[in-house]
Amino acid sequence: MSGAVSTAGYLARRAAQKERVRILYRRALKETLNWAVHRHLFYKDADDLRVRFEANKHVEDLDTIDRLIDVAEASYNKWRHPDPYIVPWAPGGSKFCRNPPPPAGIEILYNYGKEDND
Amino acid sequence: MQSIRDTILRYVRVRRYSEPWLSNGGGNVLNRLSRQMCASSVTSPDQIMGRVIGLVKKFDKIDASKVTERADFQKDLSLDSLDRVELVMAFEEEFSIEIPEEKVDKLTCCADVAKYIASEAEEKLVKS
Repeated sequence: MSGAVSTAGYLARRAAQKERVRILYRRALKETLNWAVHRHLFYKDADDLRVRFEANKHVEDLDTIDRLIDVAEASYNKWRHPDPYIVPWAPGGSKFCRNPPPPAGIEILYNYGKEDND
Repeated sequence: MQSIRDTILRYVRVRRYSEPWLSNGGGNVLNRLSRQMCASSVTSPDQIMGRVIGLVKKFDKIDASKVTERADFQKDLSLDSLDRVELVMAFEEEFSIEIPEEKVDKLTCCADVAKYIASEAEEKLVKS
């Protein structure tokens, strides 16, 4: 019984770690793109980042993995970009909330007054 | 001057619309034109699917012949979780969207991705 519980606990902890690593990799990859001023610089940096993640791929000990993730997250936080790229129409982007929807009851006709001639 | 122009052109990707949207249906044209002008990434579901599959085929860790609409990224195309993150980032850049982290896990095949992008585009069209 206790064996089953500890296996379940192990799997849960493992899943949580996988999730953390996945999110960390995603954020770090975006951060890499923020720091790269050209596409060809980004490709090399992204490969380096991948190598750094792959280096600890086969670590089995849970506590070691936790420590490694903590170290990696600390280094991610240290290298946050002050002015990251935001997709223009996402929150915080330069086109966010531009062209707000017109009030209810007002309709836009896109045929520019030609409706009588059709 | 020529060299500057070449450099710029190399970095600017011109997006081609394969659908001949100017040629079909008179009254429809202006409507479509205004739609394309206010939302650059809104296209028909087939086009989104085509672009998704083209992108997946170009991803260098995937065997292009195995890519189908329903092929699971993890099982059928043998990607690991980090590869999937890279793929999602490629989708985000191709379609200029931002996919929230909790949604990323649910995108397991090309059809899922296309559906998600189409639903995002619809939402944007309704809002704007």
